[in-house]
Amino acid sequence: MDHTFDLVIVGAGGGGLMAALEALRTNPQTSVAVISKVYPTRSHTSAAQGGVNAALANKDKDDTVELHVFDTIKGGDYLADQDAVEYLCSQAPLVVRELENLGAPFSRFPDGTIAQRPFGGTVKDRCCYCADKTGHTLLHTLFEQCLRRGVKFFNEYFLLSLEHDDGECQGVVAINMRSSAIEAFSARTVILATGGHAKMYWNRSSNAAGNTGDGQAAAFRSGISLKDMEFIQFHPTGLRKSGLLVTEAARGEGGYLLNRHGERFMARYAPQKMELGPRDLVARSMETEILEGNGFTSAAGSYLELDLRHLGAGTIKKKLPQIRELSMNFEGIDPIEEPIPVRPTAHYSMGGIDVNMAQTALCGIYAIGECACVSVHGANRLGGNSLLDILVFGKLAGREAALEAPRRASRPVSPHALKNAAAEIKSYISHKRYERYGIMREEMGKAMADNAGIYRTEVKLRQAVEDISTLRDRFRHIRLFDTGTVYNTNLFQILELKNMLDLALCVSMTSLERQESRGAHYRDDFPRRNDNAWHKHSLCTQSSDGDVKLCSTAVTMGKYGLEARSY
Amino acid sequence: MERREVSFRIYRYNPQVDRHPFYDNFKVAAERGITVLRVLNHIKENLEPRLTFRAYCQAGICGSCAVRVNGVSKLACTTQVWDELAESGDEPILLEPLNNLEVIRDLLVDIDPLLEKLKSNSSWLTSSIPEQQMGHKEHIVSETEFEVIDSASDCILCASCYSECSMMGVNRRYISPPVLLKAFRMNNDTRETLAGERLKQVTADHGLWDCTHCYRCVEHCCKKIPIMDGIHRLREEAFERRMSGSEGARHAQVFFDDIRDNGRLKEMTLPLRTKGVAGSLAMIPLALKMAIKMRTPPLFTKKIPGIKRVRELYLRLEKLNAERQSS
Ligand SMILES: Cc1cc2nc3c(=O)[nH]c(=O)nc-3n(C[C@H](O)[C@H](O)[C@H](O)COP(=O)(O)OP(=O)(O)OC[C@H]3O[C@@H](n4cnc5c(N)ncnc54)[C@H](O)[C@@H]3O)c2cc1C
Ligand code: SF4
Ligand code: SF4
Ligand code: FES
Repeated sequence: MDHTFDLVIVGAGGGGLMAALEALRTNPQTSVAVISKVYPTRSHTSAAQGGVNAALANKDKDDTVELHVFDTIKGGDYLADQDAVEYLCSQAPLVVRELENLGAPFSRFPDGTIAQRPFGGTVKDRCCYCADKTGHTLLHTLFEQCLRRGVKFFNEYFLLSLEHDDGECQGVVAINMRSSAIEAFSARTVILATGGHAKMYWNRSSNAAGNTGDGQAAAFRSGISLKDMEFIQFHPTGLRKSGLLVTEAARGEGGYLLNRHGERFMARYAPQKMELGPRDLVARSMETEILEGNGFTSAAGSYLELDLRHLGAGTIKKKLPQIRELSMNFEGIDPIEEPIPVRPTAHYSMGGIDVNMAQTALCGIYAIGECACVSVHGANRLGGNSLLDILVFGKLAGREAALEAPRRASRPVSPHALKNAAAEIKSYISHKRYERYGIMREEMGKAMADNAGIYRTEVKLRQAVEDISTLRDRFRHIRLFDTGTVYNTNLFQILELKNMLDLALCVSMTSLERQESRGAHYRDDFPRRNDNAWHKHSLCTQSSDGDVKLCSTAVTMGKYGLEARSY
Repeated sequence: MERREVSFRIYRYNPQVDRHPFYDNFKVAAERGITVLRVLNHIKENLEPRLTFRAYCQAGICGSCAVRVNGVSKLACTTQVWDELAESGDEPILLEPLNNLEVIRDLLVDIDPLLEKLKSNSSWLTSSIPEQQMGHKEHIVSETEFEVIDSASDCILCASCYSECSMMGVNRRYISPPVLLKAFRMNNDTRETLAGERLKQVTADHGLWDCTHCYRCVEHCCKKIPIMDGIHRLREEAFERRMSGSEGARHAQVFFDDIRDNGRLKEMTLPLRTKGVAGSLAMIPLALKMAIKMRTPPLFTKKIPGIKRVRELYLRLEKLNAERQSS
């Protein structure tokens, strides 16, 4: 079946849904379709617990947009584009209040205003929240409003390719997951909102199984550049087996980090702050312990321990009930009786589709949210700024696309695109193929975690580039064992692996190239920031033979000059 | 780390090739702390790539992975294999798709009916602020007002309760627990303006009044939401808004009278009293279905031993009410 719309949005997380609502509000005549590989409320936005930043000044009366701007620029180690950050922070109070007006159940202060709490890297308490389920409630609110407006959803449709005719948007090709029918969505405008790609670290990632960067990979293959791909944020305490997040609160309440000698090793790295040093420092210290053989060993890899036992059953039950539940559900361990096995985990992708505000280099094609790189997060994202990013730029792209659509001619997706997609899928079924998805994906996760993880060196990164390149070659022999057409999950796994491999190559190549340490990118062999040589965004483009070409572009500066980032 | 071989018996059905559903057995070496979802992933990656199920966040927050484990609907990603072993002993752990929804393939079901019900019951907030003016001022909501809807807004639409609901089991057109919960969440939000409209939709046929008070939804909610409190509140609201002329409200009145007189419900004659003779005849197919599922109510109802106390309670309540109205 073929479809035609004014606007097709790929991705139904907070970013995609916000764009859909704003497009309809801007011009109710716009025909909008939202395509998503999972039901909208299941998108990964639901996992965000902490909150969303906005200088409402409900808590600290002297908070201002300016302070928010500066926190964000400094937090990003001066790699963020300052015009974009200004826009992000100035729109923040507006979008947060809009979500409140639409029904989001924010927690409240005694005076009835939206409650705010402190969050890492900010000078004022400006993180607005709904208990520890902020993302979940924002996503549900947006989804409910989309139902109200009758947004047309194509749930469980998987994006295969982005189509354009010499730089002019034609639409997308997607596969209906239930029937395996390959369908063309011709569209005057397209917004990509497919979420992050930090799942390429697999078992060492806090992300959902589907954060595989499908939109980024599709954009890359259609000729759009990817920006700042080397920047991946790691969180210190992920659970050993699953990588799921144990929030900072556990250390805030006084939890210890121990190595296998029972030593509180943070004493050697941050004697004053101990376990409560900045995120990247704690994550790096933990990694050092593991590398030096001070970790515990297990089938699931080396780990350290987060010990809460000395806090007592009372405190744990009262103040850290979520963490206790998480440990019991996912490690089978009750922190009242045993320490929790943890290690740093990949958490967020700062890099993504290169956009100017929300616009890509192709006419009529936009990208927003974690799949895009505006860049507002620079080399390191502040907690609470990502939900903000998806709301602000989702809204901007929705409005722009709705205004632009009537001005654009309709250029249908060519039948060739459908044929190519079908041929590719068919090719995976061949009996001559032998590589297995599970094994290759495991090797990819390990290659990335071991050699393009928290500590990076030239030697390791060369290894990562080599390993990922080899895996990309081997991918040519991957076999689709499930030959059915009813909800073939085996096929989607393979397509996701292909996307992750392409992006993993970009991450490892740009990391190798950037010979400095900035924000989340830490080079053991170049431990300092080097503004003369590296104060610039990296760009990856696909060459005609499928290789990755590297280049760079300038950072947009503004009010704030370069300064050392110290806390 | 404790490790042992665990057997799983998994429901399989691919409409393309299988005439009938069947069960497949797998043996997996599992260590303590492993979840059912990790076992499913292990089987899919190493033993049977065709095995089909949903999962996304792996953290109990997205609502994708609900299945029936040993007959009970729950999230695969938060269910410990070890806990299930304690229940099933030497028997294999049984994994099956959710009830009350069509199976698409293996453990994967079609949840569109749930979304359709959300749509037809206005499961969204209708704010008093016009759209063009949004974003400038927040509503003032007190902490206590927020607390009323706090727990109801935890729902992740996993459909576990949908699968366990006894009314769903006999009537798939029934509104279902998560949709009632949403209605409660919206109607008790101080910012809402269309509560009356929604209540009309919710109290239509196959709606609010059909709930059997079995509490199964509450027992099986994966987020431990007190769904029944919401359902009770919606019923109260219907009375407050004088939507009590309907058959459902009559049903509730009869319920009230029965408890006062007998201490329990005379269910067999309930339809006759609320629906009249013609209405009761129309219910015969449903009654037959319920009989087949062995859920028919007893024909004769004895008064419960403590009935005197129950009547006293009623008297006191009525007195209180009278006092309130006169003051
Ligand atoms: C554990 C955790 C906690 C976090 N906490 C916070 C926090 O407290 N504050 C904060 O600001 N940020 C937080 N973040 C980050 C934030 O949640 C995300 O960056 C943000 O929600 C991303 O939103 P999105 O709309 O870009 O993408 P997502 O919500 O990930 O949505 C992506 C959408 O794209 C669709 N999609 C993807 N691929 C395809 C395809 N091939 N075909 C069709 N559809 C596709 C998916 O179905 C989905 O609907 C957290 C992240 C994690 C992992
Ligand atoms: S109490 Fe009502 S809604 Fe809940 S399971 Fe029973 S019949 Fe269904
Ligand atoms: S009410 Fe509970 S069990 Fe039912 S869908 Fe919501 S979270 Fe799941
Ligand atoms: S996978 Fe998300 S709830 Fe289980």
